[in-house]
Amino acid sequence: MALTGSDEDAEDAVARLLSSYETSTAVPDELLEADGSIRPAWRGFIEAVAGMSEDEFRARQMRGDQYLRDAGVYYRQYGTPDTSERDWPLSHVPVIIDEDEWNAIGEGLIQRAELLEKIIADIYGPNRLVERGHLPPAMLAQNPEWLRPLSGVVPRGGHYLHFVAFDIGRGPQGQWWVLGDRTQAPSGAGFALENRIATTRVYKDHFARANVHRLAGFFRGFRDALINLRDSELSRVGILTPGPLNDTYFEHAYIARYLGFMLLEGDDLTVVDGRLMVRTVAGLQPVSVLWRRLDSIWADPLELEETSAIGTPGMLGAVRSGGVTLVNALGSGVLETRALLAFMPRLAEELLGEPLSIPNIATWWCGQAEERDYVKANAHRMTIGNAYATRLLFDFDDVSAPPATDPAARLALSKWIDRNAEQLVAQETVTLSTTPALDADGKLVPRPMSLRVFLARTREGWTIMPGGFARIGPAGDAVTLTMQNGGSAADVWVVSKSEVPAESMLFPASGPYLRQQQSMLPSRAADSLYWLGRYVERAEYRVRLLRAHHVRVAESIAEDTPLLRRSAEYLTWLGSDPHQPIPAGVRETLESAARAASNVRDRFSVDGWAALDELAKTVHRLNARPSFGDDTARALSLILRSLSGFTGLVHDNMYRFIGWRFMSIGRSLERAMSLTGLLAQFADEDAPDGALDLAVEVADSEMSHRRRYAVATNRATVVDLLALDPLNPRSVIYQLNEIWSHLGTLPGGETHRQLSPLQRAALQTRTDVAVQTPERFDSSALVRLEGDLSAISDLLADAYFR
Amino acid sequence: MQYDVSLTVTYRFDNAASASRNIVRLMPADLIGEQRLVAGSLAVTPTPNERTTRSDFFRNNAVEVAFHEAHRDITFTVTSRVHRYERGRRLDMSPSVARLAEDIAAYRRLDPGSPHHFVGASRRVPIVGEMSEYGRTHTKDARSVLEAVEAIGKAINRDWTYQPGATTVETPMMEAFKARRGVCQDFSHIMIAALRGIGIPAGYVSGCLRTDPPPGQPRLAGADAMHAWVCAWCGPDVGWVDYDPTNAVLAGADHIVIGRGRDYSDVAPVRGVMRTSGNHWSHHAVDVVPVTSETARPDPAA
Repeated sequence: MALTGSDEDAEDAVARLLSSYETSTAVPDELLEADGSIRPAWRGFIEAVAGMSEDEFRARQMRGDQYLRDAGVYYRQYGTPDTSERDWPLSHVPVIIDEDEWNAIGEGLIQRAELLEKIIADIYGPNRLVERGHLPPAMLAQNPEWLRPLSGVVPRGGHYLHFVAFDIGRGPQGQWWVLGDRTQAPSGAGFALENRIATTRVYKDHFARANVHRLAGFFRGFRDALINLRDSELSRVGILTPGPLNDTYFEHAYIARYLGFMLLEGDDLTVVDGRLMVRTVAGLQPVSVLWRRLDSIWADPLELEETSAIGTPGMLGAVRSGGVTLVNALGSGVLETRALLAFMPRLAEELLGEPLSIPNIATWWCGQAEERDYVKANAHRMTIGNAYATRLLFDFDDVSAPPATDPAARLALSKWIDRNAEQLVAQETVTLSTTPALDADGKLVPRPMSLRVFLARTREGWTIMPGGFARIGPAGDAVTLTMQNGGSAADVWVVSKSEVPAESMLFPASGPYLRQQQSMLPSRAADSLYWLGRYVERAEYRVRLLRAHHVRVAESIAEDTPLLRRSAEYLTWLGSDPHQPIPAGVRETLESAARAASNVRDRFSVDGWAALDELAKTVHRLNARPSFGDDTARALSLILRSLSGFTGLVHDNMYRFIGWRFMSIGRSLERAMSLTGLLAQFADEDAPDGALDLAVEVADSEMSHRRRYAVATNRATVVDLLALDPLNPRSVIYQLNEIWSHLGTLPGGETHRQLSPLQRAALQTRTDVAVQTPERFDSSALVRLEGDLSAISDLLADAYFR
Repeated sequence: MQYDVSLTVTYRFDNAASASRNIVRLMPADLIGEQRLVAGSLAVTPTPNERTTRSDFFRNNAVEVAFHEAHRDITFTVTSRVHRYERGRRLDMSPSVARLAEDIAAYRRLDPGSPHHFVGASRRVPIVGEMSEYGRTHTKDARSVLEAVEAIGKAINRDWTYQPGATTVETPMMEAFKARRGVCQDFSHIMIAALRGIGIPAGYVSGCLRTDPPPGQPRLAGADAMHAWVCAWCGPDVGWVDYDPTNAVLAGADHIVIGRGRDYSDVAPVRGVMRTSGNHWSHHAVDVVPVTSETARPDPAA
């Protein structure tokens, strides 16, 4: 059949696209068959890319990156001095796998998950595998992840494993190998989702017709499974995170938001009579299912690692008394132990009566004499490392054997193996298949890859995520596949030959409409939101003061007027020395705000994040470029605009859930404090010339003053407007009224109940200010008010934050 | 020999602890053939909101107590009667140190007494070359594991100075090793490290000593507080043997066992977590009095 003109063009375009793509003959390639032809699953994709101009392709990649930046996707890089957040390293070319092959992978991995469940049930149960000689006792007894306090504890519901991941790779003969089992708290499912969204931005039109299996159904099934694990309708499901300093905290927050579960830290939880409770602003509330992203040993300082500050004392007691299901069970990290890989083939025969359908890479535990001798003889084609480590063997700090030709080195190695036998495991060095990635010039090149595949237990049994994420090595080297070492991550497309159902996390439209209960707010989150409100307001106050100061510096002829002296002293006292471009006090306040916000990342919209991020960037930029007088005033205006952007978003868009109330109370209280301080400094009886105008300007109330009083400022009008006018949002009484009405909506603050100590203090303060007159509201009254306001803050903390 | 054993542990906090949860391991053990707990009770003041008792992995008696309310102090008081059997010196049927590895490998169980738990590094006992070397140096002439245990114990007793107050429960073992002084906890950890370093499974025993010695015998060091010593696995025939390096003796009728574990962390008398700021202060008191015909309550049947 003759090719039509456009077919010929398309073929030429494909050939051009692949001109730089040179595969090795030693390993298979995902895109190309051994004969150089394109695998069927890839054809549509490659043609779609070949149909784009270089510029278009690049623009599309930028769209994907833009999405990730906007969504704030990051991971934390360990080892660098600042353990900084890094942009997510997306490889823009997905790995494409045919549905039939994927199904075979799924079957093999489900078999493996079931085998692992049987193994863990034995090693925390009757220990028959040890007794019958299938597992060496030393391998458990010396394993830091085999947790003795969990021995004999059968999880509620009977299952130890609910969510597992496997790292797999394709070997030289084209067959798949399991490289490692991830049973402790596998990360990456959330990143897989983000990779998917970013990648579909790049290939929007093609993706829609490419018959790629969607991921949402998998997550919906697992969410329902977690909800079904609860012991009662009243208890909740939570996601347990080590906290914002963890390398994958972003993902924890993302998954919590995506699935609609509470994101909890160990300190949010407490155990009461064998039940796990979360401290919320409405008191202790039961939690009966925890998807844990925290390694077991940190979970309970009472019975596990005693120095853990991120665990919950008594957690094991709650597990023992059947008060909580942990996903996965505490102690499941023992299955990740490298040494266990050496025993898996035999355990499959023993426990399942069948061989592994997907083998794992050949592994030898050096604690056995025969295996040890084999390792010594073949060390040159192996990697040797810690038997109890749970990372993939080629990650880092492992030994690559010396060349076989150096007898001295081999003898030393052999002695080292003998001395540390039980601590060592050897694995065959593997070479993995390659897949297309883009090099620095935007050309397609083959790179080694491994896949992380996720399985979840649902009521129907194990299900496999139709996708996952691929790690792509940075160069033609199979040994550096971690992102910590500079690799990248790609989406995985499982393509069907026929149309796939479109799915999303949303509930089906049919059925009765149900508004979900307001979610519970953990005390720690309330605390963070309250302080976020306070810090942002505090930053705004300081920036306004600074701006007013610099405007006057620019305008005044004398450098040292009494007013400038007073404002400079006051600013310095606030930690905001006006001689610095962006004073430390302002920067630190904004950093504190960002830290508070990062503690409640799961409660923020993407836009809220973008606004905070923008703010940080503005400050950073301005700080790098010092300026004085008028320039500084202009720079400060920029910061003010960014701050208003954030507060505007918060107060216009944020749902009025209880967390918003805490943030608003923080803001109101801080503003009332600032205004009180402002009046004490600039409206006292012996304030210098121009002080009253400065106060009105800092309080952004010049217009109101002009309208309301039609006279120049005097002490009475300024105190009236900034303290006593209930219609001015920048008055003390206005903010006290706000606080009072917010308190009525908090738990324990309902009307017709006895007033709480907090409400009593707030009402008293509000009344004291309401009955004031400008004449009587002197410095000593202002000082008293400052004390009353901080007392309200303390009472709020007592009532809700501990 | 029968004893009345009483122990009191008191904690006092500068600032009231807002809530706390503790695991208490203070009750003398019930050990077949070694020691019998005739009667025992643990009193806790103030009365905790929660209290559960269980047996931990190493079969020690562990009581978990929780206080939901703020409190300034806690007192744990054990009152018990214990029958401790004299085991006497047995025929040394332990294998040579070199052959012990085979015996360990042949032990294919992970029960609480399995030697496998006691060979590698544990929370407070690292395996350090220097310590293994110390162990090797002092066991050159040992013909059996039991001889090696006694040799290392005697050497440590000679080379280290027993000095109450020289270290705290948190002092790392290596620090006491270098300082050549310490208390029973340090002596025991050092001996455990030296034994494990040469392949002998070794564990930590917490307990207490008879307060006043039998007439004509010297008072044992460490008798006025809780005490600690070492247990070592001497092969399948001899099993576990207790040795007290602080006093350079095999533990005998004057040693009351409370708990066994890999090191102090497994048997800490009170392990707890308080939500408090500020310091706390603690006090231990121990009294171990033999029950003689004069002190025993008259038998009403007599």
